[in-house]
Amino acid sequence: MASSSSSGLTFKLHPLVMVNISDHYTRVKSQMNPPGGDSAAVKAPAPPPRVYGCVIGVQRGRTVEIFNSFELLYDSATDSLDRAFLLKKQELYKKVFPNFYVLGWYSTGSDAEESDMHIHKALMDINESPVYVLLNPAINHAQKDLPVTIYESEMHVIDGIPQLIFVNSSYTIETVEAERISVDHVAHLKPSDGGSAATQLAAHLTSIHSAIKMLNSRIRVLHHYLVAMQKGEIPYENSLLRQVSSLLRRLPAIESEKFQDDFLMEYSDTLLITYLAMFTNCSSTMNELVEKFNTAYDRHSRRGGRTAFI
Amino acid sequence: MEAGKRKTEEEQQTLVDRKRKAEISEPPTTTTTVTMNAVETLVTQIQGLSGSPNDVVALHAHLNKVDEALRGESARLLPFLDQIDPSIHSLGYLYLLDACTSGPVSKELAANLVLITSRFITSCSTEQIRLAPEKFTGMCKRFKDQVLLIEAPMRGVAPLLVAVRKVQPSSEHLTSLHPDFLQLCLLAKCYKTGLSLLEDDIFEVTQPRDLFLYCYYGGMICIGQKHFQKALELLHNVVTAPMTSINAIAVEAYKKYALVSLIDNGQFSPGLPKYASSSAQRNLKNFCQQPYIELANTYSTGKIAELETFVQKHREKFESDNNLGLVKQVVSSMYKRNIQRLTQTYLTLSLQDIANTVQLNSAKEAEMHVLQMIQDGEIFATINQKDGMVRFLEDPEQYKSSGVIERIDSSIQRLMTLSKKLTNMDEQMSCDSLYLAKAGRERQRFDFDDFDSVPQKFNM
Repeated sequence: MASSSSSGLTFKLHPLVMVNISDHYTRVKSQMNPPGGDSAAVKAPAPPPRVYGCVIGVQRGRTVEIFNSFELLYDSATDSLDRAFLLKKQELYKKVFPNFYVLGWYSTGSDAEESDMHIHKALMDINESPVYVLLNPAINHAQKDLPVTIYESEMHVIDGIPQLIFVNSSYTIETVEAERISVDHVAHLKPSDGGSAATQLAAHLTSIHSAIKMLNSRIRVLHHYLVAMQKGEIPYENSLLRQVSSLLRRLPAIESEKFQDDFLMEYSDTLLITYLAMFTNCSSTMNELVEKFNTAYDRHSRRGGRTAFI
Repeated sequence: MEAGKRKTEEEQQTLVDRKRKAEISEPPTTTTTVTMNAVETLVTQIQGLSGSPNDVVALHAHLNKVDEALRGESARLLPFLDQIDPSIHSLGYLYLLDACTSGPVSKELAANLVLITSRFITSCSTEQIRLAPEKFTGMCKRFKDQVLLIEAPMRGVAPLLVAVRKVQPSSEHLTSLHPDFLQLCLLAKCYKTGLSLLEDDIFEVTQPRDLFLYCYYGGMICIGQKHFQKALELLHNVVTAPMTSINAIAVEAYKKYALVSLIDNGQFSPGLPKYASSSAQRNLKNFCQQPYIELANTYSTGKIAELETFVQKHREKFESDNNLGLVKQVVSSMYKRNIQRLTQTYLTLSLQDIANTVQLNSAKEAEMHVLQMIQDGEIFATINQKDGMVRFLEDPEQYKSSGVIERIDSSIQRLMTLSKKLTNMDEQMSCDSLYLAKAGRERQRFDFDDFDSVPQKFNM
């Protein structure tokens, strides 16, 4: 597999496709290994399943824009995708989105395999040069980029035999506003009654928390790097140091006594509200505890007049 | 190990000599010699078996068996204590010492025993002691009695503090030694040491009597140190603790509670909160009606002269309850309360006017009172000595500093741990069989509303 494509096509990927693929994979995976497996049996982790499907979109000139995707069944006997189903689905989609063509197919895994070439070739009668979208479902926290790769097929001469091989292509993420909102909504899994203020506040605070956590980890990496540089383990790199210094000079944004005063006052106000909320919480727990205690142990508690605790 | 063995041989030699002397000096009865032999073998056993934890457990079992026999020989066991080291052979030492003190103790013997026991307590090993906590507690209680017998309570304070810390499984547990320690602190008038023990929050209590005494004595110590807020808390605990029938400690505590409440809050309501036991709610008021609740009523009128006449009238009653000092503090707090009331009406006031309103004798006295209150932080004011005017100010604290924020933060953390504990207790309570039996009994007939997911609880 060559590293870069020479076809000169620009690929644009919509987030909907990625969400679809990941959803398909997660569903199949969780159906395979039922959750809460018994601990007595030693279960070797089953190899992650591969899911397959089709991607559809529009090709305008040199730009290939992948809008949507749907799932397909993989027939391991014939080592190909279910052709009848694919055609039927294509027809249905044509009715709704007349502009969309089958652009290629997708699968999950860490790297493209030789067997994928069969599927690729099978699709070549629908689209002369299909694309192969590969999603790597392994969660790697260190990796900052998306685990999605797009492959194209090219005819290369290897050992004197012309062969089709996969070549890696670069792509960009493209989205429209409506899509962004809906994908965001799905990604953050808000509860069904997302209207109540409490859940909204919780979601808001969670997102702020994760953002700050990421900022913290990035700063830590920088700090570690600078300390190593200071100790002499890493050679000095002046351009980086200049960048860090300019970053530092941009903070703090405001430094004055009035700001400090107001800031501390607001901070202590927020803390006090939290304190009050905790207090109320504790008091209500204590109240319930006292009620229960009185019911259980007080000999002359109020008879009747108290409805059941369900 | 070598040193230990050699010591044992020497001990054996001295023991043999002693035995021979005993035989020569007085006609020995067969039983005495036999028991002495038993004690000697016991001593050697103690020395041998105090090495590893398994040995200690075996030793413990053995000691339990011979305990009764030891108690019979209480008078003669004292010399054997010198042969074993309290820090290494703590368990054996404990049993021997306990047997020594089990009989009646004279004053001279008490002085000697106090010395030995305090040395033991400070040097004993905690793990060995924790194998026999009741014995240790019993011995410490007897130690307290001896200290009181020789009328030197101060000598018992430090050893008992060490003893309390050693026998507590954790700082949240209340042991039977806590009230004894506090009692000694009160008698010896070292309130500060007592306060250090009161800093811990108690969550586990085994004996209710311990809790009552602990909170009562603790309240008295706080009153002695003029920490009225904490005293109020502790006395409140005594009064609202669960009790099936009223007890004397609660009655005394209620009286002090009323007085401290007047000093600290300026008011006292005789009603008890709903988490107080029903027997307390019904009976405490009757015991303390005269003169405490009437004192509270007189206080609320705000007139010093009436209050003072009332106090004079019931002087003997207050004295018999040992509360006269506290009552005097109540009277002096009345002045403070009246001056504080003035800050809400006036911006500036002359010292003479203050003296007249508060019924003090002269402007000089008023100045002294106001000065004292400013120093204690009870009011914020400036005194202009040229024209004798007092200017009342607002609280200058803006609560903007980072110190305040740290305090709030630590309070929130504490509250979070407390909340977790409370939820645990609540869950435990819900599973309690007594509670379930009673709650189930009051169930209504099945109704359509019962299948509602929202629990129907009416808490008035």
